[in-house]
Amino acid sequence: MDATAQISARPVEASHAEPLVYRHSLTTRITHWLTVISLVILVMSGLQIFNASPNLDASDKSDPHRRVLAIGGANDAAGRPVGMVQIFGWTIRTTHLLGFTDDGMGGESFRAFPGWLTWPGYQALADGRRWHLFFAWLMIFAGIAYMVVGFARKDLQLLILRPQDLPKLLPMQLYYLKLRKKPPPYGKYNPLQKAAYTTVLFVFTPLIIITGLALSPGMDALATPLTALLGGRQFARLWHFLLMIALIGFVLTHVTLVLSTGVVNNMRSMLSGWYRPHEDEGLGI
Amino acid sequence: MKRRIFVASGAAIALAGCARITNALNENPAIHNVLGLAEPFDRALIGTRGRAKTYRDADVDRDFRVNGFDTPSTADYRGLVRTNFASYKLIVVGAVEKPQAFTLAELRALPPYSEVTRHDCVEGWSAIGKWSGVRLATVLALARPTQKARYVVFQCLDRSPEGDPYYESLDFVEAAHPQTVLALDLNGSPLDPDHGAPVRLRVPTQLGYKSAKWIYRIQLAESLSPIFGGKGGYWEDNGYEWYAGI
Repeated sequence: MDATAQISARPVEASHAEPLVYRHSLTTRITHWLTVISLVILVMSGLQIFNASPNLDASDKSDPHRRVLAIGGANDAAGRPVGMVQIFGWTIRTTHLLGFTDDGMGGESFRAFPGWLTWPGYQALADGRRWHLFFAWLMIFAGIAYMVVGFARKDLQLLILRPQDLPKLLPMQLYYLKLRKKPPPYGKYNPLQKAAYTTVLFVFTPLIIITGLALSPGMDALATPLTALLGGRQFARLWHFLLMIALIGFVLTHVTLVLSTGVVNNMRSMLSGWYRPHEDEGLGI
Repeated sequence: MKRRIFVASGAAIALAGCARITNALNENPAIHNVLGLAEPFDRALIGTRGRAKTYRDADVDRDFRVNGFDTPSTADYRGLVRTNFASYKLIVVGAVEKPQAFTLAELRALPPYSEVTRHDCVEGWSAIGKWSGVRLATVLALARPTQKARYVVFQCLDRSPEGDPYYESLDFVEAAHPQTVLALDLNGSPLDPDHGAPVRLRVPTQLGYKSAKWIYRIQLAESLSPIFGGKGGYWEDNGYEWYAGI
């Protein structure tokens, strides 16, 4: 199909457009937006908490010899403040962004993440913890409600990756990369969507909760082998941070696809529940 | 060039606005109270159960990190250090049948308890030390808390930069925990002034702010509200949760 045909074909297709289908239950929509709010606040308050001890060690107790990441700052020989990130011993100057950066109060100071990325903006560990733990619970309850209702309505079963989906993963990826004309046949969700959601729902999310809990001395007493399995308390802090990056990666991919596969249709479906199938030839989110 | 400056300053304003919003939300008292609803859930899930992990002697940090307020610099405290705490007494008062005043020698004569545990700071770092002294439960049993006693409050010699005294509190579940210790020694030597000499608390099932240093008085209380800021500890009065298991 050439470009002209594509343009002229649009109105014709629109007149034959498939009717809207009810795609997302009220529970799914409410818990989705609660999760959006929670994730934003959890990431930002988490960076606030990170700032109180801006190191990540692959060890049980704090150990500079096993330091993976350190964000810090100091005055240089000329007395000018410098911000630095050290990853595996490599030093990167990050002045004004990390290490010496926005203090959340209109100035700059020595702190790891800037005020515009932390919650609250100014340095306040007690407050950051308050926000973090409240929204952690909110997200857990939203997640439980989503799972219970989703399984009961048999919606969630459609989202879980199954062995028969595995051979379709590569063809679907090739289709996304425009190296294949047609996607492999699939049901409500395509195999890559299923892989992404299955990983996020059943691997990343439980793990980020577990690694967060492993930072708690009370939980360490209650379930010592759990923290030990993660490599100790500081290692759990590192895992918790890496899982945050993984979840941010998922969110960025998700938002990119929402925007690129018919943003109106996608947003309508997550706000009102109603979705127009095949409007985007099956790339829908 | 102009456009770049325009974009950069636009971004800077937007980013500055971000902190303004999060700061404003953070300072809203109603929101702050709602956020506090998480604490009972934390307690219900984790509470004080099980035993903190113990380590080998070889695992200790020889140079155990010093944190918290400055070591007391009053003439009284310097005098105590100079005289090797000869006139120091740990007082146990309040809702008890038999108020007590222990000298260091008397504390050392009680059944000793020693354990290598990890200290988890609320800031995120951890250090391992060998803490030796007396179980808190041993000391409390001698004072015989009355039926009214619900909290064990620790009053300390250190003060915040603003001059507020440090204090902490435990309930009886935590106070009776076998690993809750009134420590006299760190890594085999008597506590030095910077680590809380002569007596500090060690609560390995809780975050470090519960492990109060420089304790001189233990008060058994019916309620926390009449004591200092009323929330059961210096840090609790300054926004931290009373439950410090997470």
